[in-house]
Amino acid sequence: MFWLAEGLVYRRQDSIIHSLDPRVKLIISFSLFILSLFSSTIFEFTILLFAIFLLGALSKVLRRMTKTITFSLTFVIMIFVINLLVGYDLIFSIIISLRFIAIISSSSIFFLTSSPDELDLVMRSLHLPYDLIFAFVTAVRFVPVILLDAVQIIDSQRSRGLEIEKGSIFKRIRNYIPVLIPLIVQSIIRSEELAEAMESRAYGFSKKRTSYYTLHFKRRDYLILCLHFMLVVLFILLVYFFHL
Amino acid sequence: METLAEIIKFINFSFSYSGSTTPILKNINLSIEEGDFVLLVGPSGCGKSTLLRCINGLIPHLYNGAYEGEVIVDGELVKNKNVNELATKVGFVFQNPENQIFMFSVEKDIVFGLENIGLERNEIDIRLKWVLHALGIEHLRYKPPYELSDGQKQRVAIAGVLAMKPKILILDEPTSLLDPRTALDFILLLGELNKKFGLTIIVVEHRIDLLTNVANKIIVLDKGEIVFKGLLKEIIKNKNLNLYGVGVPPVIALQNNLRDEDIIFDEVYLNVKDFAKEIKRRLI
Repeated sequence: MFWLAEGLVYRRQDSIIHSLDPRVKLIISFSLFILSLFSSTIFEFTILLFAIFLLGALSKVLRRMTKTITFSLTFVIMIFVINLLVGYDLIFSIIISLRFIAIISSSSIFFLTSSPDELDLVMRSLHLPYDLIFAFVTAVRFVPVILLDAVQIIDSQRSRGLEIEKGSIFKRIRNYIPVLIPLIVQSIIRSEELAEAMESRAYGFSKKRTSYYTLHFKRRDYLILCLHFMLVVLFILLVYFFHL
Repeated sequence: METLAEIIKFINFSFSYSGSTTPILKNINLSIEEGDFVLLVGPSGCGKSTLLRCINGLIPHLYNGAYEGEVIVDGELVKNKNVNELATKVGFVFQNPENQIFMFSVEKDIVFGLENIGLERNEIDIRLKWVLHALGIEHLRYKPPYELSDGQKQRVAIAGVLAMKPKILILDEPTSLLDPRTALDFILLLGELNKKFGLTIIVVEHRIDLLTNVANKIIVLDKGEIVFKGLLKEIIKNKNLNLYGVGVPPVIALQNNLRDEDIIFDEVYLNVKDFAKEIKRRLI
């Protein structure tokens, strides 16, 4: 099951892309995402996908990126078949499918190369309300903790004779109820303890919360950003003005 | 008039949680002096955790209930102050360190509280380095919480609290998740903080033998009332302690039994080593 998430989960790695300012990574990823939304010919998608995979290769996450795409292939095929069945022609169905792949892979660039920590910094630099940032940070922080809770509950219910992987599909879904209820209860208790600890650490003390961390563009960040915008402009010129 | 040295004071204090008819704390009168190391003991459900939560204001600000009497911390009424305002005076370390580390790295977590109180970058930097050094966790600075052992997590939890420079440090069963060796190291660390920085410390702990060398005062709570309070050395030899589910350390129990056999010692020996020395002295 866990390999599904692999295409979206950050791993500590070293590459040119990883070491960029997270804001630059966000801009690159986001602009590719937008371009994927607006592209409409096979030629455009070839260039876009080439660019995306080149970025993937540069940041050494190509293997995990292809894993996500392989996983999403079921959806791609579904989209393709449904489009054909509804009566669109072959080219259009291919384009829609390509768009789906481009959207997924372009957004995964950011998530594969930026740690949750960096995401936190990006949100701070965007001056989002701290309550929102904190909610996000704790949500990500407690995913492994709650996963561990779930494993423990599954084990303990199994040791009482609960057979989770038996029966028809509906029975199997029902089997998870004795796991979900204690998990929810445990998470609620955990959140109460969290609230106590937050209050005790002066959360919400001052309207003017300071930030110890600030992001600084380095020369390399500026260079990459310039290069990126030049390529984007070139792409737009090629496609929309010269109708290539 | 209260003296300056009196940092925590309960006056005719009672509390019951909303929805409950029986008070969890009854008629508490208590004063704790600055620099005290207080051991708070009593059977489960006797109101220890409630008492602690009254000191840092979680009661009455986060929990509703019938609040009678006064709690004064560092000269101010707790009910007039918010929990987050009190956070700079009272540090609270909870039982499970996992739920007190919010951030992705030790450094970020320590910084969290300091950002909350709006400190400048330089000041945060100074405090961060100080607290990492004071707790001996410099090597953990950039580690994520899931790479830490339970003992390390507990130290990080304290670091986050200590960085706020509170005058009082409260710990609710801090060693319950630690193995005996780590627990002992941890308690010794608390003793050091108490001596070095004059920090007032209040600890709930079932393993009394761990604390006999560092704590100077003890409070025994039963069914919401204080049954004993005073100097640890005085109280610990009271044989009635067993009645309240307080596990008297074997070395004390031995001295009590010897006293029954009319073998009288002038002093109470809190650890085996000192007691062994005394026995040797007598035998020779």
